[in-house]
Amino acid sequence: MTETYRKRGTVVRWENGTLVRVTENGVAIEDGNFFSCEPERRLPAGRSADILSAAVQQRARTIISMIEPPITIERLVLSHGIAEHDFNGRTWSDEAQRLHLSLIHKNIRALVDSIDDIPRVADALARCDGERDAPARLRLAPCVTAALVPSLIGLAPPNIELWQTAGGIDGKGNAIEAVRIEREPWPNWYRPSYRVRPIRMPLDVRIRCEVIAIERDRPLAVALLAPIDGLTLRVLVDDGERAWPATVRVTRIDAVADEAVWYPYGGGSFGAEMML
Amino acid sequence: MIRFAIATRDELWLRGRRIESRLSHGEAIEDEHGIIASDARDDALVDACARELERLRDAASSIDARVRLVAEARLDGTSATITIALGGISIVTTPEHAAQDYEMLRAVAKRRADVPSALVAGGTPALPIVWRNGSAALLLHEAIGHAAEHEHEPIAWPSWLDVDVPLAMRRATFRDVPLRRMTHVVARQHDAPFELPPRRIEVLLIAGGAYEPLTHEVLLRVAAADLIDGNETRRLAPFDIRATREEIARSLTGAEGETIRYPGVVCSREGQELVVPSAAPVMITVFR
Repeated sequence: MTETYRKRGTVVRWENGTLVRVTENGVAIEDGNFFSCEPERRLPAGRSADILSAAVQQRARTIISMIEPPITIERLVLSHGIAEHDFNGRTWSDEAQRLHLSLIHKNIRALVDSIDDIPRVADALARCDGERDAPARLRLAPCVTAALVPSLIGLAPPNIELWQTAGGIDGKGNAIEAVRIEREPWPNWYRPSYRVRPIRMPLDVRIRCEVIAIERDRPLAVALLAPIDGLTLRVLVDDGERAWPATVRVTRIDAVADEAVWYPYGGGSFGAEMML
Repeated sequence: MIRFAIATRDELWLRGRRIESRLSHGEAIEDEHGIIASDARDDALVDACARELERLRDAASSIDARVRLVAEARLDGTSATITIALGGISIVTTPEHAAQDYEMLRAVAKRRADVPSALVAGGTPALPIVWRNGSAALLLHEAIGHAAEHEHEPIAWPSWLDVDVPLAMRRATFRDVPLRRMTHVVARQHDAPFELPPRRIEVLLIAGGAYEPLTHEVLLRVAAADLIDGNETRRLAPFDIRATREEIARSLTGAEGETIRYPGVVCSREGQELVVPSAAPVMITVFR
């Protein structure tokens, strides 16, 4: 059966001081195992790029104003996009904002993907000194657990459940339902671009644990210092007085708070404070 | 005001069967306010791509592997690239060199690893390394090329070594911001010392690499290498090498012969993948 997907959209991106406005329309066709795609001449979608540009530039100015010495910005990429989708006649639209920020102090780089995390990460990074071992008992901030979620799929310990969160439409026009993530095939399709062949993937995944009480006096891993490698994390640990880089291998999860924040990792994941 | 325009056709073939086909085109207009980009079509560029794609298909027709063909036409010229993956390792080549490079890949892929990579504990090889097939260009790509892109102060390299690494503003697609990137890496030796150690590692193919601008540390992922001990040759499991660029400069102890084209360097920075033709003579490093 031939499947036809169309997407048209506009994205405005602030990339290290350069404003980029992109409009594109494209069509992708899957016919059995064969996938093809190409641009399509149609009217551009939705709102003017000028409106998005003003909002993105304002957010960039806000973020830059939040960073003070000794912290410096190594990389700041902000985007705001709107898109209209059509899959075999089913239509929907969405809007997405993203932030990718790397902050540096001395030889340490902290990764930030939400504007709300900037004050806490910048504060810890400014106090950061040499490498130390990770504490035996540690909390992970939501931004860290969100990045960990995709690596937990198929490897979650027995006291942890992973759930796809209901809401929105997937890459083939299907509703995203709440289902427990246990084994393939995953029920929904991830399609970040019309140029990419869609793949089955759990979307907007969150962690559930019977124990939700978090001991607030444990040191907190406030940010990732490098992309996650399986279940090994390079993190910035803050005990309230000192902050330091450490490597954490996740072997046991004691508790996960029930309040969660969405992050753009994998097909989307919700980070909640976690206790190791 | 600067106008950039591009058209790209790429195809993925699996053991002689086409499974993916893409056409992409667009332009970017750049001025003091930023970049306005769209998927506008330049028919001349799309036609040029189609011609390059035919050349690629001809060159790849007898290759029994996973093959990606990429034909690209820009206002300043065309390029044609073939990526061939076999047995978990890959090369990037051109229509002109595809047959020769595929034979080399087959020969390398045929031998299975029978020695664990314990010889390279913590990223520091315990034995001298001989860099075959132009692979030393990758070491220099990371240690000299990326350092130059980041405007790091030059460091001292052996007097017998000459490395040509020009930089230019480059971008992967019309959606991207141009960055100062390498256009090629060509290393030459002039009267370098060279003595082949009887027990050594010979690097054949590289899987990837990275340069950390905060620490000036280079990471190279070696995909295929042999352990040579006298007349015995055994295949090493893949391993990583980590060293600062200063340590790499100090480790270079010799080189021999003419510059050898390495089959393929696709360099990724800020998510933009660009081909960087690279070549180097056979070189020796000894990490102490």
